Amino acid sequence: MKRLQLQRWSSSVLSPRARTGGRLQQHLYYSLRRQSTASPALQVESEQLVDESSLNSSIPSSHIRQQPKYILPSPPVEAARESAKLAALHARLYLPSRLPLETLARALVDPSADSNSNFNNESLATLGHDLLTYYTSEHLLCTYPRLPLTVIFAAMYAYVGPKTLATMTREWGVEMAAVPGGEVDPGLLQFQRVAPGTDLDAEPVSNTTRPNDSRMSWRKSMTSRIVYDNEFGDPSKAPVEPSQQPTPGAQSTQGVTAEQASATFVRAVMGSIYLHAGRPAAKRFFEQHFLSRHLNISDLFNFSQPARDLSRLCARENFEPPVAKIISETGRKSRHPVFVVGIYSGQDKLGEGAGASLLEARSRAAVAALKGWYLYSPLNVRVPSSMEDEGAAAWKPVHVDLGEVIV
Amino acid sequence: MATSLVVPKRPFLALPFLLPSCDSVAMELRRHQSSYRRTKQRLRVRPDASFGVSSTQFQDHIVHNPPSSAPSVFHTPVKFLPPDDARRSLHTDPLFKHTNSEVLPTVFKTSTEKKYHLNKSDIEEIRKLRLSDPMTWSRWKLAKRFECSPMFIAMVCEASPQKKEIQKQVLEAVQSRWGPKRRMAREDRQLRKESWGRDE
Repeated sequence: MKRLQLQRWSSSVLSPRARTGGRLQQHLYYSLRRQSTASPALQVESEQLVDESSLNSSIPSSHIRQQPKYILPSPPVEAARESAKLAALHARLYLPSRLPLETLARALVDPSADSNSNFNNESLATLGHDLLTYYTSEHLLCTYPRLPLTVIFAAMYAYVGPKTLATMTREWGVEMAAVPGGEVDPGLLQFQRVAPGTDLDAEPVSNTTRPNDSRMSWRKSMTSRIVYDNEFGDPSKAPVEPSQQPTPGAQSTQGVTAEQASATFVRAVMGSIYLHAGRPAAKRFFEQHFLSRHLNISDLFNFSQPARDLSRLCARENFEPPVAKIISETGRKSRHPVFVVGIYSGQDKLGEGAGASLLEARSRAAVAALKGWYLYSPLNVRVPSSMEDEGAAAWKPVHVDLGEVIV
Repeated sequence: MATSLVVPKRPFLALPFLLPSCDSVAMELRRHQSSYRRTKQRLRVRPDASFGVSSTQFQDHIVHNPPSSAPSVFHTPVKFLPPDDARRSLHTDPLFKHTNSEVLPTVFKTSTEKKYHLNKSDIEEIRKLRLSDPMTWSRWKLAKRFECSPMFIAMVCEASPQKKEIQKQVLEAVQSRWGPKRRMAREDRQLRKESWGRDE
């Protein structure tokens, strides 16, 4: 071996013709070196392979063992222990030690890279997606029991939507493989990319769970989105019958975007933590990585007629009708006046807003009052999943009231 | 290139930078000379009374003097708290009460109190009038006659298609005379109005 290494170093001084070894093997060796995505363990193997074969032209036994790696769609299971990237990712995310590296490697293989469901992350991602949406929705509904449905959908999207998950993948330092394959380092996210120039919004979403989805002009009400659509209020794909599913042998040429693949990866990590380390670890992971992200819910509102909504709210809750009163003002006859208007219901002030005109100030005050209503949060919020803890206190019902103002 | 000498209208002595650089003259004519010591002295103002130690309190305490700003929307008003909430009893302190809410002037001069004084025959008459002569009986005129809001007239009846067409043409004729500046200013105003609801 030592002699062989020496010969490799001396190759720079030797002329190309003086080198032993077949041209084909050298080509193979150099092209492997250039591929940055190939795992380093494999590179060392192939270096030895080239050097050994340069001495005795018979094919060594390791060559036969390594050969199937090139025809595998995703890295073999035993490659997970040799990947430095994978171990670094495991340590960086502070994942529980009960979660093995092999499962983390499987979470990095998208169904578009490996259609075999025993080796891709589809099942893990399904479990993780259900956990993520469940934990997020119970947190939102218990913390802010009066939120309107549109705001809940927007907040769900902001917490566990695909864009957020793709951002998290980048923040975790997960890199993407150019092309999936058996020789790729298992620490890279592997998926079949969409062909360049493909228009992703070309065809409308079809085959959804919503009835009459082919009629584009039909109005989609907010309440029907709870029943038919997914947790973000978007149309969801109908499940495909097992008999109609494409066979695993058939190579599906349709790729996925990097955003979709990243989202599937994060969901699969969540699912694998739940499977290997249990529910408390999954809950802790969710709180540390998802709930800790700052989301200002008061920015998600958009009112078209706040004054009308507020008067409807006061009529519904049997409060005195809201009256806008001027708290203070300055420069009424100047170019830049400022009015501070408060909205009062009887003696109590509901909201306060400042604006350059009386109408603007009143409108902003009504918006502030409506946000004060919607953003009510009870003290000592508990979520239903906290009852699964050991020795949890008796459950007290969460606050439920009429909530949203419907005009 | 023609150069013109600008003769200042003010007396010459009031513009010290035009004078030859003579230190004594310049020092006298300037209002003050900024120096480190003088600037520092001028900034040395007596702090607000709320920052000082009150005479009745001799222990360490926290000074809470926030800058004036809009109240946070996450502080739910007492009226919006459910009856079983613990914060309701905390805010019954008379210090938190705004006792002067009656003396504040209202934004609108006229009362927006609804009267509910129109009956079925009145509504029939509104519909008949608007159908018979839509040019005379516009929404505003009907509202004035029946002492209700134009919004209520719009809820009760609808203009005939001919009237809508005429009104559309009138609007187009008016808008065709707008120049780019007025058009842009109106669009901007509409965009600003939409931003009120988003609280921007």
